[in-house]
Amino acid sequence: MHNQIAEFINKNVNGANAIINELVAGVGDKSITVESSKILETCSALKSSQEFDFNVLQVVSGTDYADRIEVSYIMASFSKNLELILKVKLPRGDKHNLPKLNSVVSVWNAANFLERETYDMIGVEFVGHPDFRRILCPYDWEGHPLRKDYVVQEKYLDMVVNPPEKNNTYDQMFGRNLKLEIGDPKKVSASWKEDVEETADEAKDGE
Amino acid sequence: MSTHNEHNENEDKIILGDQEILKSDLLTLNMGPQHPATHGVLRVEIKTDSEIVVEAIPHLGYLHRCFEKHAENLDYRGVIPFVDRMDYLAAMSMEWGYALAVEKMLGTEVPKRAEYIRVIVAELQRIASHIVFFGTYAIDLGAFTPFLYVFQDREEILRLFEELSGARMLYNYIWIGGVWNDITDDQLKRIKSFIDRYEEDLKKYHSLVGENRIFSDRTANVGILSQEQAFDYGATGPVLRGSGVKWDLRKNRSYGLYDKLDFDVPVGEGLKGTVGDCWDRYHVRVREMFESIKIIRQCLDGIEEGPFIGKVPKIIKVPAGEIYLRTECPRGELGYHLISDGGKTPYRLKVKSSCFTHVSLLPILAPGQMVADLVATIGSIDIVLGEVDR
Repeated sequence: MHNQIAEFINKNVNGANAIINELVAGVGDKSITVESSKILETCSALKSSQEFDFNVLQVVSGTDYADRIEVSYIMASFSKNLELILKVKLPRGDKHNLPKLNSVVSVWNAANFLERETYDMIGVEFVGHPDFRRILCPYDWEGHPLRKDYVVQEKYLDMVVNPPEKNNTYDQMFGRNLKLEIGDPKKVSASWKEDVEETADEAKDGE
Repeated sequence: MSTHNEHNENEDKIILGDQEILKSDLLTLNMGPQHPATHGVLRVEIKTDSEIVVEAIPHLGYLHRCFEKHAENLDYRGVIPFVDRMDYLAAMSMEWGYALAVEKMLGTEVPKRAEYIRVIVAELQRIASHIVFFGTYAIDLGAFTPFLYVFQDREEILRLFEELSGARMLYNYIWIGGVWNDITDDQLKRIKSFIDRYEEDLKKYHSLVGENRIFSDRTANVGILSQEQAFDYGATGPVLRGSGVKWDLRKNRSYGLYDKLDFDVPVGEGLKGTVGDCWDRYHVRVREMFESIKIIRQCLDGIEEGPFIGKVPKIIKVPAGEIYLRTECPRGELGYHLISDGGKTPYRLKVKSSCFTHVSLLPILAPGQMVADLVATIGSIDIVLGEVDR
């Protein structure tokens, strides 16, 4: 099925450059990667095609890798009973220069909330979205929590986010152990702070 | 409900009874986050022209815990209790979907007995979850008594689950490879007597509530969702079926034992009004309960002796790759997009939550309704905020 879809995309969308991602370990689902600039054209072609008829968008989600961000569009056809994971690769960008993608709200209205969530969690800007703001975090939150190097902000509206008296010693131990085990901060996704006062923790543990 | 008045000096000039002339300044109302009719901490900002809703903007995130971030730090078994806390009214179904996704990646064989137990508990959970809908929806529309009746039945299911798993709502019962503990013959007998009694009672409840003139007047022709809109906005589950689409993952992309079981997929027919209105969504859920009873009855007849958990390695390491697996939960399709890099924890676990997509229906369903009908509409799409915000 993936061969036919990739062929279809390459035939109908100029420069989409669809490539099938084969299974790494022989289990799971295959996916198709296309050029990030052609995502809108690809989606509308897939939705309007007689052959596949992807009439429902199920998921827009992002994954943070060390060198790139992958945004997955998972779509389904309820008439042909198909499922497709479509991916685009983007640079990671930084705080002031988030990676950009064309919005697909004009193709499926379901994308409205899903793209807002992706922006909120991973930090990808969707160009042409009708109502572009955060959705799950507060509207003036900083940072994008599902990035692997995310550290939670210290203060939000004069409120301390993780006040020390509410810190759980075991959470901190958990974060420290993770760091010891894995080492590279980019690979660890726990939002720990740099070495919380060890002595204070030990005193608490001893009690 | 807190009100905040913008300009309302022309209030005495409103002429009621004719909508053409009924044009006043807009009033902004905040429905929620602590409003009983929003079924949790949902805030809907509504702009009203006298009593007619012009615009409804949902604000989410009051229950946001970033479960997906937590999952990246936990081993594959440790994710299950967190999964429970998404849709806390249907925790068994949440667990099953996750367990299936990991099992498929690992290639684990699930023993026959465990499959039967899973179907039984998942369908009991569907009944329990629809009972909450039934009771609270009647409360939303002003009928308090049905709530008291149906919650007695829910109590029976919860007590059974408590015996099975040790918890009333957040079970951690369905594990990767099978289930945590075996079900006893005595419990199976009790399930049998429960569904026999409940089937009769449910008919009574439905004739008291669904066929009631006041109830059907309040819900028929209200909040109509057409088929095209349902597909466009990605609606699934009872909301999609209420709009007349015969689509159920248990039939169309079968998992577990469902392909061997005999049941129907009820769809909205517009018996009291138009196809896709609130009454249709209510009726789909009620008929689904009867189908669940049918499924449980077949499983009770077919259940086999044997082990209840398969062979799973002590430390689960999922091979590198990704999977998207969806299951039919009481509130709609639940999808897990699991990406693994071959380690002990998921690299990324994205949850497709049906409630989240259903909230995005509010801005198109609400305009043109009375405020009281908005309550009926929110109730009929049956959201659980734990799953919306995750």
